[in-house]
Amino acid sequence: MAGEVTQMSITPDWDEQPRLPRNGLWVGILAGALLLAIVVSLGVGAVGVPARKLVLALLGREALTTDQRVIVLSLRLPRILAAALVGSALSVSGLLFQGLFRNPLADPYVIGSSGGAVLGASVGVFLLPSVTIAGFGATALLGFVGAASSIMLVYALARVNGRTPVVTLLLAGFAVSTMLSYSSYFLEVLDRDFGTGLRVLASWLHGTIGQPTWGQLTIGLIMLALGLAASVPLARRLNTLSLGEEYATHLGIHVQHTRIAIIVIGSMLTAAAVALGGLISFVGLIVPHMMRMVLGPDHTRLLPATALAGAVFLLLADTVARTIIAPAELSVGVLTAFIGGPFFLYLLRKTKQETLL
Amino acid sequence: MTLLLEFAQTSFCYGDRLILNEISASVSNGECVALVGPNGVGKTTLLRLAAGTLSPASGEIRLLGQPLDCFKQQAIARSIALVPQNVDVPFAFTVEQFIEQGRTPFLRMFGGLQAADRRAIEEAMDLTDTRSLRRRIFNQLSGGERQRVKIALGLAQRPRLLLLDEPTQHLDIGRQLEMADLIRSLSAKGIAILASMHDLTLIEGIFSSVWLLSPEEGMRKGTPEEILQPEFLGRAFKCPPHHHSVLEERIRGRRERVQ
Repeated sequence: MAGEVTQMSITPDWDEQPRLPRNGLWVGILAGALLLAIVVSLGVGAVGVPARKLVLALLGREALTTDQRVIVLSLRLPRILAAALVGSALSVSGLLFQGLFRNPLADPYVIGSSGGAVLGASVGVFLLPSVTIAGFGATALLGFVGAASSIMLVYALARVNGRTPVVTLLLAGFAVSTMLSYSSYFLEVLDRDFGTGLRVLASWLHGTIGQPTWGQLTIGLIMLALGLAASVPLARRLNTLSLGEEYATHLGIHVQHTRIAIIVIGSMLTAAAVALGGLISFVGLIVPHMMRMVLGPDHTRLLPATALAGAVFLLLADTVARTIIAPAELSVGVLTAFIGGPFFLYLLRKTKQETLL
Repeated sequence: MTLLLEFAQTSFCYGDRLILNEISASVSNGECVALVGPNGVGKTTLLRLAAGTLSPASGEIRLLGQPLDCFKQQAIARSIALVPQNVDVPFAFTVEQFIEQGRTPFLRMFGGLQAADRRAIEEAMDLTDTRSLRRRIFNQLSGGERQRVKIALGLAQRPRLLLLDEPTQHLDIGRQLEMADLIRSLSAKGIAILASMHDLTLIEGIFSSVWLLSPEEGMRKGTPEEILQPEFLGRAFKCPPHHHSVLEERIRGRRERVQ
């Protein structure tokens, strides 16, 4: 291996190097950033509200006008919470899938689980529109089923001798997600009332965070909370699984159970994200990667940091998307594709050099 | 000397291909065994059977007299550590984070590393002289460093028996001798070792016994002097008789140097 060459440099005393910042510090910083982003985003838009006034109003010291109240609390707040929730869910599911595939390029969009969730959810919207549970319809459940089945399909297709090479992962993900997305278009034909279904599907395929009802937000929040809680005991296992199946099995990790747990939790998070925001690409790729650059690859540190950073990232992206071409609005999915596409290519190029092919 | 690990008429097949046929052998406490044989004869398979990651098709494997399949895998990994030949890590784990994984069999469902775990990790780094590498990225290590770090992960399991799969392969001569020293020092610390060895010249002076696996004749066991004979090696490795002098010279030369 070329590793010998790096030995030529004088080895510094590594013990003298400062330890990476404690995890708690980063969680604190990111939580602060999330609060700040929420306040800023609440004030930004067609009707601007100064941040100072907003903070005082939130603390109950000052009163907003009725217009401001409606805009800030009834229109912007649900959307802001939805963006944060979607970003968090996508980032954590990306982190989980990257651990499962042992491949840093596994993003819920790239590997087809988002496409599966859209197809499942579309079936709910078009074929079972009258079945509703707390305003969410059969969409959440079917979205979960769609995400889980597509990820199992891609996983089975992409594995070669116990590994998931980049080539097979990307090809299998591409083929499966393309089939799934266009199957969703096919469902348009079945639309009977020519209206809500089509509008919902269009916004899903563009990756738009719309105006969620509080009921939808609650369901999404419950799914996110369950997913995050269930990921906590998985984080350490993902570290061991990173060393490969042989090591993990020998060290007493039940590899098969862990994989099933990852697929179930990751699909639930994807379904929650898709139900609120549709196909938003690359968030699950960018955020875990940035956090890995700062905190290293330890999943026990990455999990809380990724959940918070994902929320901040998509909230900021959605704020830009709804203001950048005001009075019109951009779909946040368009924006993340613009940022994430080149980032993905950069990662792909870097990965190739590290002989992951 | 108590028997640590026993193979009792153990057989294994991949599909319908019989790899190991009724192998019987045992490792005692503190013994240092070299496992030799031609490629594909089942050395790695034998180590995986001993590590509990594969189950025998027939026969039994016993750990301290108890059948291995009575133990949970975690319990096996607290007594036996497997150091595989190839490891490929997709993320940039540091050496310390890599070695920490050796404590996995000791952790509870939600628990993290405790003081005892930290001590075991530090001790493993001391034994393998990897303390200075702890902040380096595992994937950027040289072959010799990587091998030592993998052994450190195994030692963090605080094993009675260390299984090494080709520990000297792909190493230059300096790192091979370094590895020989490490094996000798671990053995002196009372850790039993079962290592598959490609390079026959490294065996004498380090290992107390040799298991020679041959596709036709099964397993032959004995001291290095007994087993490293041209006629046995020639048959196991399928060297034509006119090459036996080459074999002899190689092992002789080594033996004279040792004496």
